Amino acid sequence: MPDFSKTLRVLLSASTVIGVCALSQTPVHAEDAALDQAVLDRGAYIATASDCIACHTKPGSQPFAGGLKIATPMGDVISTNITPDPDHGIGKYTEQDFEQAVRHGVRKDGAYLYPVMPYVSYAGMTDQDVHALYVWFMHSVKPVASAPAETTLVFPANMRSAMAAWNFVTTKEEPESGDSSTYDPLRRGKYLTNALEHCGTCHTPRNFMLSEKQDRYLAGTSLDGWYAPNITSSKTGGIGNWSEDDIVAYLKTGHANGHAQAAGPMAEAVEHSTSHLTDQDLHAIATYIHQVPAMDDDMEHQARDSFGKAIEAQDIRQSAPTRIDDLTEMDGQHAYDANCAACHGQTGMGTKDQYAPSLFHNSTVGSARPDNLIMTILHGVQRKTEAGDVSMPDFSGHSDVQRLSDAEISKIVNYVMATFGSGDPHVTADQVAQFHKDK
Amino acid sequence: MPSEENLSADVVIVGSGVAGSSIANELARAGISVIVLEAGPRVDRQHFVENFRNLENKPSYQGPFPAVPWARHPPDQQTPNDYLHTTGPNAEAYQQVYLRMMGGTTWHWAGCAWRYLPSDFELKTRYGQGRDWALTYDDLEPFYYQAEVMMGVCGPDPAVEDLGSPRKQPYPMDALPISYAAQQFRKLIQEKTPWRVVHEPQARNTRPYDSRPTCEGHNNCMPICPIGAMYNGSYSVYHAEAAGAKFIPNAVVYKIERDSANKRVTAVQYFDPDKGSHRVTGKYFVIAAHCIETAKLLLLSADEQSPDGVANSSGHVGRNMMDHTGVQVTFISGDQALWPGRGPLETNVIDNFRDGNWRTDRGAYLVHMVDDNQVDLATQLAISKGYVGRELEEQIRYLASHTVRLFSHNEALPDPNNRLTLSKDHKDILGIPHPEVYYKLPEYTVRSCEHTRYVFRDLIKLMHGTDEQWTPGYFPQDHPAGSTIMGTDPKDSVVDGHCRTHDHDNLFIASSSVFSTVGTGNITLTVAALALRVADTLKKELAHA
Repeated sequence: MPDFSKTLRVLLSASTVIGVCALSQTPVHAEDAALDQAVLDRGAYIATASDCIACHTKPGSQPFAGGLKIATPMGDVISTNITPDPDHGIGKYTEQDFEQAVRHGVRKDGAYLYPVMPYVSYAGMTDQDVHALYVWFMHSVKPVASAPAETTLVFPANMRSAMAAWNFVTTKEEPESGDSSTYDPLRRGKYLTNALEHCGTCHTPRNFMLSEKQDRYLAGTSLDGWYAPNITSSKTGGIGNWSEDDIVAYLKTGHANGHAQAAGPMAEAVEHSTSHLTDQDLHAIATYIHQVPAMDDDMEHQARDSFGKAIEAQDIRQSAPTRIDDLTEMDGQHAYDANCAACHGQTGMGTKDQYAPSLFHNSTVGSARPDNLIMTILHGVQRKTEAGDVSMPDFSGHSDVQRLSDAEISKIVNYVMATFGSGDPHVTADQVAQFHKDK
Repeated sequence: MPSEENLSADVVIVGSGVAGSSIANELARAGISVIVLEAGPRVDRQHFVENFRNLENKPSYQGPFPAVPWARHPPDQQTPNDYLHTTGPNAEAYQQVYLRMMGGTTWHWAGCAWRYLPSDFELKTRYGQGRDWALTYDDLEPFYYQAEVMMGVCGPDPAVEDLGSPRKQPYPMDALPISYAAQQFRKLIQEKTPWRVVHEPQARNTRPYDSRPTCEGHNNCMPICPIGAMYNGSYSVYHAEAAGAKFIPNAVVYKIERDSANKRVTAVQYFDPDKGSHRVTGKYFVIAAHCIETAKLLLLSADEQSPDGVANSSGHVGRNMMDHTGVQVTFISGDQALWPGRGPLETNVIDNFRDGNWRTDRGAYLVHMVDDNQVDLATQLAISKGYVGRELEEQIRYLASHTVRLFSHNEALPDPNNRLTLSKDHKDILGIPHPEVYYKLPEYTVRSCEHTRYVFRDLIKLMHGTDEQWTPGYFPQDHPAGSTIMGTDPKDSVVDGHCRTHDHDNLFIASSSVFSTVGTGNITLTVAALALRVADTLKKELAHA
């Protein structure tokens, strides 16, 4: 990960404090607006497609009441309460205040939001959709009268005013106009991908100013340990070899047979957002993604899902069981056998229905980067959609199922990638440790 | 090894199985200091999975768990046993197995999580047999639910299938899907008999629960669930540790010390594997060391103050040994293939013989249609019939898909003559005597087993079965109970209704050893519920201390 602290100091030196220019309009309330169900439905759908809930809800807590800690290069940002509670949420926001926050990253009191709030993407939202979103938040979201802890970043990142300068230099999504539901598939797909789903927030690498590098649009980058892969149309570096139906299946269920499955933040995006989109919209996204300019990858030179095949597993059984106190660390093959094979099979084929996916023809294993395989073993997979409630346990030091050492995890990663994937990455225990430090 | 000065806690627990670890978890979460002493080592799942793969005899439940010499446990059932020595007319029926290691025996169990029936607690009052417990179903109901939430129990909606144990809350998880074999069996029983097949409540995940995955039907719950979908005590150990409880493995407790008045326990002493002795003091003590080891420890602590053993003024410690004695048959169905072996091992039960006025005369029992993979047995049978080559393969396929295994577990009664004592001849490497059990099946149980055989013969006939193979005699179900029996009268029982020993105010027992009768379901959920009730009592007493 690049060193951002210097970046922010540069940023700060150019910053100016922008004054507050709150507009004195009154917020919309249920009693003074004739509720148009179509507007509410549209707002609900826009909220889903924009995946507001992912960041603004702490797991197990009230929807949109904030409190989720989000790791950023600047430090942990705690999401805010965006329920219509007047004191703790956005209940006093006028539509104009709301629009300023969503599309421009400016809070009602004039302070700047941290760009972990993807307003540079939402900047592309149409007026009609911002209106619908506002009406829906004000009428349909249950107010929650509690405020999450304040974000406390260390200097200089704690200077929200620095964001003004950043906003000045960063590239924002061009605003769209008209009725977004009437767009042709390509335009609709672009709108969904960029303005709503904000795919680039994770999949586009950022420059030294933390702005998305538009010349590497969707070309993949690291994100809090996970690697958000290249999803451009490159047939070697990206997902150019996927069919439109593969992309739709992936976004709908989190799984595309023979290609990839979603874990970590992408599993959340599928669960909360993309799995709820209409098939028509998913096809629109796929249409658009398919024509995103191919970006080759400096590490991936063969499609990530093209590696490996089922293996004839060598019989490694021994004649006698070991004593119950024998916790000797196993080599990669035995550790795979003991921890992975029950679901993914001795051959690596996974289950027949691919609930447990095959490990060959699997982007996570075929990637030249072992990041996502390490993260999957450390964090497991949790993904609930209409297609099922997928769950792989974690194997970290907090697991109830099996606690593996960093050395054991490194051996499994190396064995799995050598056997089913792009080759032995020679990951060390110390490298595995980097993925769970401070967690 | 922890330093000696740290060896003191509000509550000292002996045993880290489902009982000990769940009490530790509850207390630690309430801010109470806890030390848990486990005789066996700290272990992990992956090594058991590897042991299971290495095992030639897959149905060997103890096979993947070769014991350590300082905390031995019995080898497999019905094998010559050089640890738990059994004698008496039905010695073979008491060769119980259990595990001595962190997390306890729930490393291998089938996850059967029955609540007992209200009548199970009042056998004497209702049917004139055995004893009444010193508590009622209603006393235990909230703790049953707490145990179900802790373990993650799935079960049928009572509106659809009422199992006879009134519930105030729904099961934490929905019932399991019913396997193909079970569907066939259910249909047959429903259409052709006056009986019914119910979904057995199971401590296994039918959805992701408690950071563990959904059951995938690996079909080897015993000896080891390879993915952690089934509950075992190790989860409660982890949770308790996260809450601050301290677990000391390889700590073989051999002595319970009391004050000069012999009213309160002051400390326990344990050996480490090198026989170094350590002393642990506390305010309260809980022995949660499994029915057999708990009684053994109380007897082992005999001294001048208590010449017959600790908590044993009644003379009942080690007596009233009970179990759910097993009757088992396998046969080849003459009807369509059942394809057993897909899904969890035990989920389908005929529960019509669980309660009725006939309990005045004979014991209750459950009939399990065991849904385990039958390839081993089918292969043996096909070979014994002389098949070779392609025909052998075809026969194995046919027999494996048509094998039916039924077993029942039959209720025992408390009989003081069925007794655990310390072996005079056999000692372990620490010099601690092995346990020895005299066992004679109560006539009540024998009559129940006979009834089972009639029912099984009916079922074999109904399925046009052939090649019957009856497991010889009576076999243990690893549900030992009664060795520190519960009752209201200190003269003929060891603990009261709160599992507190009559003799020692601050000594509790959390184990099936307190059962007054053995009940009509698998014992684990009741063990857990009683343990959680002990935790509740301790929390209240420590809050007022």
